[in-house]
Amino acid sequence: MNPIDAQSLQLGATWRDYLALTKPRVVALIVLTAVVGALLATPGLPPLDALLFGNLGIALAAAAAAAVNHVLDRHIDARMGRTRNRPLPSGHLTPARALAFAFVLAAASMTILLAFVNVLTAVLTFCSLIVYAVIYTVWLKRATPQNIVIGGAAGAAPPVLGWVAVTGHVEPQALLLFLIIFAWTPPHFWALAIARRHDYVRADIPMLPVTHGVEFTRLHVLLYTLILCVATMLPFMIGMSGPIYLGIALVLDARFLWLAFALKFARRDELPMRMFRFSISYLMWLFLALLLDHYLPLSRL
Amino acid sequence: MRHTALLRTVTLIACSLCLLVVVLGAYVRLTAAGLGCPDWPGCYGHLSPSGAAADLQDRANTTLASARPFELGKAWREMLHRYAASTLVALIACVAALTWLWRRERIAPPALALAVLGIVLVQGIFGMLTVTWRLYPLIVTLHLLFGLTTLSLLWWLLLELSRPRAAAIPRPGAALARALAGIGLLILILQIALGGWTSSNYAAIACPDLPTCQGSWWPPADFRAAYALQHGAALDYEGGALSAPARVAIHLTHRIGAMVASAALLLAALIAWLQPQRYVRRAALAVLLMLALQLTLGVSMVLRGFPLWLATAHNAGAALLLLATVWLNYSLQPDRA
Repeated sequence: MNPIDAQSLQLGATWRDYLALTKPRVVALIVLTAVVGALLATPGLPPLDALLFGNLGIALAAAAAAAVNHVLDRHIDARMGRTRNRPLPSGHLTPARALAFAFVLAAASMTILLAFVNVLTAVLTFCSLIVYAVIYTVWLKRATPQNIVIGGAAGAAPPVLGWVAVTGHVEPQALLLFLIIFAWTPPHFWALAIARRHDYVRADIPMLPVTHGVEFTRLHVLLYTLILCVATMLPFMIGMSGPIYLGIALVLDARFLWLAFALKFARRDELPMRMFRFSISYLMWLFLALLLDHYLPLSRL
Repeated sequence: MRHTALLRTVTLIACSLCLLVVVLGAYVRLTAAGLGCPDWPGCYGHLSPSGAAADLQDRANTTLASARPFELGKAWREMLHRYAASTLVALIACVAALTWLWRRERIAPPALALAVLGIVLVQGIFGMLTVTWRLYPLIVTLHLLFGLTTLSLLWWLLLELSRPRAAAIPRPGAALARALAGIGLLILILQIALGGWTSSNYAAIACPDLPTCQGSWWPPADFRAAYALQHGAALDYEGGALSAPARVAIHLTHRIGAMVASAALLLAALIAWLQPQRYVRRAALAVLLMLALQLTLGVSMVLRGFPLWLATAHNAGAALLLLATVWLNYSLQPDRA
């Protein structure tokens, strides 16, 4: 070990560890979907305070949920190659500190949402936080191979939260965005679970590839991808989005379907990871397409 | 080699123009401009609508103009369709001539190129009948079907000139995949015919809601009248001549047809995917996507209140889905070479 490494270990936690605790890349995707939900809620630009404070509150709550997840999963994380270097298993942070940090984030989130946004957004954000950090992480994850399907509801909530931050009530269009992410979660997560199934066996987590086999999981990835394709057509059907969105969504669906088919029938080893990585870009581009379409004149056709 | 490239280019241009002519034809039908020029091949005896307009202003009476008022916009739409179609006939004649001229080089089957020429000439006659029979629904629907036949055959010729297909040695499951793709194509053609029947009888707006029709799952429908191929005498058939229950029956059949065709194409694409060749899989994916697009456009049309651009796009979607399905069938054909 060189002197600099030793020094940083002695100093203990750095801001980097706290940042890692919030899963910044996951939070970034969550905030993107929340911002799109907020922007789609009105024809023009929404009130800036609702946009800014609403999404800040949602981001803080997502970061808090991530930190709680780190604390509750630290024993599992220590046993899996992918997560062994997280701040808690590596010993950079103590569970008590991490929990305190999560509490501060959650309190800040609730304060901002209650003070500057509206009660409904605060309540729904709090519920999503509890569903993810407690119900999913503590119970569902270890209880059933349908864990990520049900828990997906928490991950699908952000666009609804963004929408409600602007309008103050839940509308069908917002639920459509929820549906898209809800249908997207199983193929996204199960592709990863196939690639990392040995980790999940070691950690004793009943992920679908572990309990029902890889073949069964591949079939379900394909079926959920078909559902996802249908769900992504709905915003156009109800006149919420226009031809620009439809075009981009079709291209993205083509790629996703191609990978899902390849995963089911071609079975090359690198496919699950490739599908997982693409699923992230897929969701990002799909929501950017919603946004682009919303602000270009063609959408009013 | 240079002959192949040249023929491929000309065929590609002809195929693109053909798609345009088909969609333009749908646009003419949807804007009720089919009788924009009530005579054929000219427009009120003139080569262009502006000539007709000047002439009609000069002599305010005219026997032709008395039946329906002259509308310059509708006349232009109808004539643009005719100009584009005439250009297409010339292009297809070039394709057929070149294929025949170079038949010893075995670039493409000359019989196919001649068949396209034959079909497009028949199509021209149906174009005339559409006008002279004053939009008689059976003629309008056949005009659509022959247009799509021209398009499909041009597309097949283009595929022959550019795309690989199944090897001569059959692979396991190839016969099943081929059979299912063929059945899918057949059902799709029937569904497109039903779509043409829906449009030419002005039956789309008979069901302004979805999944129900007029608020009910099965409203009063008259299937006997809906599919009597002969219609009673009328001055013309613009706007439709059938009773409301007959139009409901037509619309309902097209919806049920959509479900049947979707199931057939989904199955065909899925089984085709099991074939190992990449180009078969591409075609299968194209079928799935065009199916998704076409279903979306169809449902959207109803939910969004039949805007003109969506109705036109639904016709274009049918053409694209047909092309994808033809491509799937092509890619599964064993190579003769």
